Formats: sequence, C-alpha cells, structure tokens
Amino acid sequence: MATELGVGRPTKRRPGSAVGGLPVAESRPAFDGEGVLGVRCTACRYPVAQRGIPWCPACYAPVVDERFAPTGAAWSSTVVAIPVRTRRPPFGLAYLDLDDGPRVLVHLAEPEVVPIGTRLQIIGSPDGDLVAEVAR
Amino acid sequence: MIQPMLWGVGMSAYGLQPERRVESLCWDAVSGAVRDAGISPGDIDAIVVGSVFGPPGVATRVQRGIGIPGVPMWTVENACASGTSAYHEAVEAVLGGRFGCVLVLGVDQMSTLFSGAIVPEATDPEGASSLPLPGLYALAAQRYVQEFGVTLEQLAAIAVKNKRNGLDNPLAQLRAAAPTVADVLGSRMIAEPLTMLQCCPTSDGAGAVIVGPERGVRDDLRIEASAMVSGALWDHRSSDVWGFASVARAAERAFAQAGRTPAEIDVLEVHDAFTIGEIVTLEALGLAPRGKGAELAPSGHTARDGAQPVNPSGGLLSRGHPLGGTGTAQLAEIAWQLRGRAEARQVARHRVGLVETMGGGAAGMDGNACVVTILSTQDGTERGTP
Repeated sequence: MATELGVGRPTKRRPGSAVGGLPVAESRPAFDGEGVLGVRCTACRYPVAQRGIPWCPACYAPVVDERFAPTGAAWSSTVVAIPVRTRRPPFGLAYLDLDDGPRVLVHLAEPEVVPIGTRLQIIGSPDGDLVAEVAR
Repeated sequence: MIQPMLWGVGMSAYGLQPERRVESLCWDAVSGAVRDAGISPGDIDAIVVGSVFGPPGVATRVQRGIGIPGVPMWTVENACASGTSAYHEAVEAVLGGRFGCVLVLGVDQMSTLFSGAIVPEATDPEGASSLPLPGLYALAAQRYVQEFGVTLEQLAAIAVKNKRNGLDNPLAQLRAAAPTVADVLGSRMIAEPLTMLQCCPTSDGAGAVIVGPERGVRDDLRIEASAMVSGALWDHRSSDVWGFASVARAAERAFAQAGRTPAEIDVLEVHDAFTIGEIVTLEALGLAPRGKGAELAPSGHTARDGAQPVNPSGGLLSRGHPLGGTGTAQLAEIAWQLRGRAEARQVARHRVGLVETMGGGAAGMDGNACVVTILSTQDGTERGTP
C-alpha cells in the first residue's frame, strides 16, 4: 500500500523527538508569560522573534534582547484538517503581527478562520507552540 | 559572447514508484536527454544535480550506470527549486565558457520517505510548530479570499484546468479523470480553504536537461534568460503574501535579461504546488495585477487553448511533485512545446516559453529560492506541426 509507506518510522527529514526522532534544539519563539522574547535592532528597531542572531538582518546594526507585547493583529489564519507531527485535526494557525513587534506563527485556542486584523492575544505556550485567542 | 542553448530533455515517468531504484528513475531521464540532444554520453563535461532528499550520494550512484567518470559534479539543494537551480548553474557555466556540455539532473523519490504530506522540518521554528506546507499556502489563500475577494470557485478552477491538461500527459502521476469545480471543492479539506484536489501529490521522478553553447542544430532552444534568487525577509512590513516577492525578484531579472515583457510569453510552466500558488505566481510574473490573478483560469486566458496557456503539462497538480525533479520536468514540457512536439498537449503559439520554480518552507523568509528562465525557438517562429 503506497499510502502506508513511512508510517510510524522516522524519515530522512529530522522529525524531532515529538514524533520518534532524535531531539533537536528548540527554535520556536519563547513566551515568558508576559511577552514574546526576541531581539530588536538598536538602529532601525527591526524586531525578530529569535535570539542569538549575530546582527540585525535588515540593516546589520547590533541587536539587543527585547520582550514583545503578547497582543497584535491577525494577518491571516487557517484551520488545518490533517494530522501534522503531534497535532490532531482540526487545529487553527494564524500569522500574528505583534504590536510594535514581529510576525509570529501562533496556534489558535479555538480552531477557526478569523477576519484579517482580528485582535489576538497570546495566552501561553504549554507545549512550546505559541497559543493565542481572540482578545476580549 | 556565448549563447547558452537547451540541447535536450528527458524524463522518467512521475508517480509513486517505491519499487524502483532511485538511480533507475535517473537513468530513464538521462538516457532520454542524451538521445534527445543527439550527443554521446562522453560529450558531457560536467554534471549538476538538484535534489532535496537525495539520498546522499545519489549522483555518484547514477554515475556508476552512465559512465561519465571524473567530470566536475555537484549537487544543489534549494527546496522545490533544486532542479531549476541546478539548471541555472549549468546555464551560467556555459555562458561563462567554463563547460561545453552540462548534464542537469533533478530527482527525488518521496514515496520512500513520506506517507502523505511532507513532515515539517523540526529544526525550523514554524516546522516545529506543525505548520505543514499546505498550511503555509492556505494562509496565503485565506488572505487572498479576504483581501481580494478571491472565490473558492476561482481557486478550484486552477485544479480543474491543470488536471484536465494532465490527462494528456503520459508521464503524469494523476490521469484517471478530470474533476469538476464541485469535485475539487467537495474533496477532503486539507487546510482551509485548500481541499485535497488543490494540493499536488508527492511523487517519485527524475528529469534531465542538457545545456551547451550554440552548435547549429535547429531544434536547440535559445536560453534567453535564467535568473535565480534566494529568499529575503518576509515579515510584518510586507503587504505581499508569502512567496510573491521572491518570484517577482526572479521574474524582474529574467524579463530584463531577455528584454521581454510578460505579454510576449506564449506558454508557461509555473509552480502550482497548490492552486493559490499558480495565482500568486502569475501576478508576480506580471501576467495579472495584484489580486486579479484568480481571474486568469476561469476566463480561459491560461487554458491550453487560451492566449497564454499555463501548465499545459498538468503542472505539479497532475504530474506530481518529486521536489528536485519538478524544475527539470517543467523545462522538458516547455522544450517539447516550443519544438511543436507536445502532441495532444500542444499549444497553438509556441515561440517563447517561461519556466518558474519556487521553493520555500524556511520560517520568516519569502522563499528558499526561485528560478525563472525564458526560452525561445532560434528564429522566432513556430517549430513542428502541432
């Protein structure tokens, strides 16, 4: 059965420990309960939701650590209807433009497509994925 | 000034072929291209391979069967644009006089790696967050639905057109029946608004292209332009959907190099990994203004008998998508079209053709790479008898 190939075993792509592969270093943006941790450029203020980068990727000036607001506006959203890694469908995903901050991928607490610009708030990251809900 | 020419193309069948050795797929493609170019294997003086998942060493295992030992050879990986990135390097090498006859090979055998959709890369921040590739394209599609009023029927029209074209492609993976718009929209949801029939199948296949300088053979195709760009930041500052800007960058360079406008292109093969991909790509190539690309399929403009046929091969939606093997298959289709040898798929006007391949998946970048190339018949006339 061609459709069953690869089920239940690692593939050449590093799948990570969540789905039976070897562990890989954490790369997802971190939420510390108050905001999203990242860096901001000291010259052009460009925000990045990653730490440990060597310089500002927009203008090459030095960057400093920053905590970004957990609120922002939805750029787009979708509901995924297939299983992916440890996620079981349906689950909602959105790109969230944080207020004065970077665009980050978030899981939606309720799997739904929301209108562009909907105000979202990050409420946690229980398994490492940022989780947001429609702001009240 | 050396003028790079496309001498020959070849393809294996595309489809789920786990029972076949990956080298064997490559041997089908290479032998086809060598025959098509009318050369001896010994004429090849360099090999460039495009592949995402290899396996590592696949190029050398292919070599064991074809016997072109010792020539410079390298393998490039640029996600879905790996095959055309390899081709671009060959074109640049011929242009600069470095080599006189370069074999380009694009290959992947996905059925031995994945049971369905590609497992996202765990080292990528968005891959680790379980964003599948159809989800990434769905986020762009949802944006087009909400921002420009693109309808589900317009999205489905891409799948209907390409899958109908693919029925006439004997090397395509899906050629059982052409779906209707209702079939497409009624198929299983993958990531809203993209349904199953709007997603290309993963596939196994290899395509080969032979590139060299002018040599006085009438069937050789002039490579008017080849542009390759890597990704750039895609972030909160961008008003474009993911992927648009990388295609636009490559297209701008290619049209400038060829000295042509989008309206001069007779036939195109573009990256329709998902229906929304063809819409966004045609806008980035300049065939339609932003937000209007969705009208091109329903209006018939991009139909096989339309003004500018797009994906007459059936595209990735029909042919299947063995990542590294996609760009070389697109090149093969445009070569057959320009020579008037595409049989049932032949389009009426076929003097100038364009191939676009866009690869992506790295978080926060507008693509991993994009290649746009423009080819034409030597004397600017239609070849063959359609």
